[in-house]
Amino acid sequence: MSVKVKNILTIWLTIILLSAAVCGRTADLEGDLVFALGGEISILNPILSADSASSSVEGPIFNGLTKINEKLEIVPDLAERWTVSKDGKVFTFFLRRGVKWHDGASFTARDVKFTFDSILDPKVNSVRRSDYIIEGRPIRFKVIDAYTVQAVLPRPFAPFLASSGMSILPAHLLKGKDLNTSSFNQKPVGTGPFKFKEWKASDHATLVRNEKYHLGAPLLSSIIYRMIPDENSRLIALESGQIDESDVPPREVGRIKRLKRVKVYEYEALTYTYLGFNLANPIFSDKRVRQALAYATDKQQLINLIFLGAGAAAYSPSSPVSWAYESSVEKYPLNRKIAEILLDGAGWKKGPDGIRKKGSKPLEFTILVNQGNKEREKAAVILQWQYKKIGVKVNIRVMEWSAMLRILNANKDPKDFDAVIIGWSLGIDPDQYSIWHSSQYPSGLNFVKYKNPKIDRLLEKGRTTMDRESRKKIYSQLQKIIAEDQPYLFLWYPKAVVAVSERVGGLSKPGPAGLFLNIEKVFVTK
Amino acid sequence: MRRYIVKRLISLIPLLLGVSLVSFLIMHLAPGDPTAMLTDPSVKPEELLRLRQNWGLDRPLIVQYFYWLWHAIRFDFGTAYMLNRPVSAVIAERLPATLLLMGTSFAVTLLIAVPLGVLSAAKKKGWFDNLVTVISFAGMSIPSFWLALMLMLLFSVKLNLLPAGGMYDPSLQTPSFLKSAIDVALHMALPVATMVIVALAGITRYVRSSMLEALSQNYIKAARARGLFERTVIFKHALRNALLPLITLIGLSLPELFGGAFIVETIFAWPGMGRLGVAAVFSRNYPVIMGVVMFSAFLIVIGNLLADVCYALADPRIRYEKVQKK
Repeated sequence: MSVKVKNILTIWLTIILLSAAVCGRTADLEGDLVFALGGEISILNPILSADSASSSVEGPIFNGLTKINEKLEIVPDLAERWTVSKDGKVFTFFLRRGVKWHDGASFTARDVKFTFDSILDPKVNSVRRSDYIIEGRPIRFKVIDAYTVQAVLPRPFAPFLASSGMSILPAHLLKGKDLNTSSFNQKPVGTGPFKFKEWKASDHATLVRNEKYHLGAPLLSSIIYRMIPDENSRLIALESGQIDESDVPPREVGRIKRLKRVKVYEYEALTYTYLGFNLANPIFSDKRVRQALAYATDKQQLINLIFLGAGAAAYSPSSPVSWAYESSVEKYPLNRKIAEILLDGAGWKKGPDGIRKKGSKPLEFTILVNQGNKEREKAAVILQWQYKKIGVKVNIRVMEWSAMLRILNANKDPKDFDAVIIGWSLGIDPDQYSIWHSSQYPSGLNFVKYKNPKIDRLLEKGRTTMDRESRKKIYSQLQKIIAEDQPYLFLWYPKAVVAVSERVGGLSKPGPAGLFLNIEKVFVTK
Repeated sequence: MRRYIVKRLISLIPLLLGVSLVSFLIMHLAPGDPTAMLTDPSVKPEELLRLRQNWGLDRPLIVQYFYWLWHAIRFDFGTAYMLNRPVSAVIAERLPATLLLMGTSFAVTLLIAVPLGVLSAAKKKGWFDNLVTVISFAGMSIPSFWLALMLMLLFSVKLNLLPAGGMYDPSLQTPSFLKSAIDVALHMALPVATMVIVALAGITRYVRSSMLEALSQNYIKAARARGLFERTVIFKHALRNALLPLITLIGLSLPELFGGAFIVETIFAWPGMGRLGVAAVFSRNYPVIMGVVMFSAFLIVIGNLLADVCYALADPRIRYEKVQKK
């Protein structure tokens, strides 16, 4: 037995003993963990995939330079540490030594440069390219020596660190190949705690333990991902013990909680849902109308009716789990009297039929929602009813998702919608330039046409400031102004409700980063 | 006969061309585009434009169509977006699972439906006929998604006898052929049962009515008059004639056999063609949609042709050449 193998075994045994001691349970080293995926894996190359099923499987196979911890902080992964130059333009990453690819080759700075250069290659079908282009100019990656890499930014850009968690690809297997069509994309090789074993089209994928993982061998023998598209079928598979984890829809939470062998976890997710107003529409260009609607919205009722209470009211474009969250913003508490006064003041007077009118024009608009999203469809109906009380007529138009996005993304001014119920997933970094900056309209994600020079300045300052405390102040001010302006009527923060089989241990603290953040420490009992 | 087949085959070419043009246009005229799915605050619109260019979506529609056609006639159906693999490979990967599930369901359905239909026709209005009628109408009116979930609840959760979904047990390590065949068969039991129960009614009724029609013919009366056993009359004289229309039915079911059943596949997580096609439509994966559409169009016309040919082979009264000579 070589010294290396002995060392690994020692580390491994220590981990097992520790985890057993901590939890009072013994890990089954032959154990498999079975996940369910709602979507289908499309491709197993982290720079090409853009769906959550594929990224779930890629997670344990690959490592990035950095990763996030339970508190959503950016911490070292393949990079042991990094420095940022005073001008905020040069990030130097010092790489961990002794890391091996699953085929035995050594991981070096060359792999890092290759990965980011590939993402930046226009011929490679990667949507992640945007993260490494700042105002039209790409970030340059330089190999200093085998274990040092520099990222040279065209100008200071704080959100870059959050993009440095990108999974690193093996240059020695991919250099000179057509990345889009390489067979690597169906049988990936990474540096992570689990090695790829097989992928049976739209049935399952299997990963097995990487005995030589640089942080010690993981405790699970293998991870299996089963693709089960139907929500009810996933719950049945969970009940029958075929899978170890599943999302739980609100209506099923009570029943699943009563099941033996299953534990239910609830935690905040980094997303929010809102009613976005088309500010190019004369009804909504008047701030008083937006504020009146905010006063007339009973958010708690929405949450009670739709999620049976499992959610929280949203008031600003950030999330309580983000470090940049500001809680003291204008909240527009439910008050129909103020709403009516505001509408009267804006010239919308109640007609004989109870609908408000300005001249002959009724106060009427259409809310778009996407088909199949039951929560948003219900929300539209409840809002329709809530707004009727203050004399506002709401129509609902349910559209297929892709067709709806076509309207919102259309490169024209004004766009063809009045209001839309939709949501954003937030990144780790609080930068929201692409959503609120006036330059992001009509082409861009500022599809509501929000234009506020103050916000533009804050957004520009926020992404070029490196110091976290100063950034926090900038984003707190930004949230206050946007909450007051109400270009969106912020509705709710959904809660993630996840059921996990009781035989699974070593989970991370429930939070937006998920329960399986440290997959190498997760184990199952016999 | 050969001339007839060749003629029919040649007439398929303009037909398939027409199908391809119409579906290509409809697909592109429908709102939405494949990059819409990638909308994300961190993705800039110019990157989506670049992807559209890489996929050739910036060219005029008619150019795109001829580019597709030029490759399609050489059986190159392009590369699926996001999956970055040839469409033919993606379809080929799903085909065996679909054929296995649909073929088995169809065979089992026929094996049960034909005897049931024949017997209930033979004993028309008897208790057996009434029972079969009630059961088949019940089967027909149960929605397949509900039945599927109930079967799963009963056999997977309550009795713990059969797996709840999927096609393989991923925890089997390098199983022998026999073992994996048993594994697949177990996984297939519930989806097949669902499909058989739902399809049974239609075919039983079909066989029954065609059998009743055959039994009312004069040659049956003649056979009975000659004093033949009732068994011989039914199984030899009537059955062969009654089963002729089934050929058409089987021929028309061919595309379904390859096309898969979306609902059953989705609920039982069966990796078939139905899920592939529907997912491609939702994500506007144009090359996959075209591949699946052309594949089914081809099967429909071939299925029709085969049915016509088999009809002629089975029934001496039908001869295509004579019709043409007139």
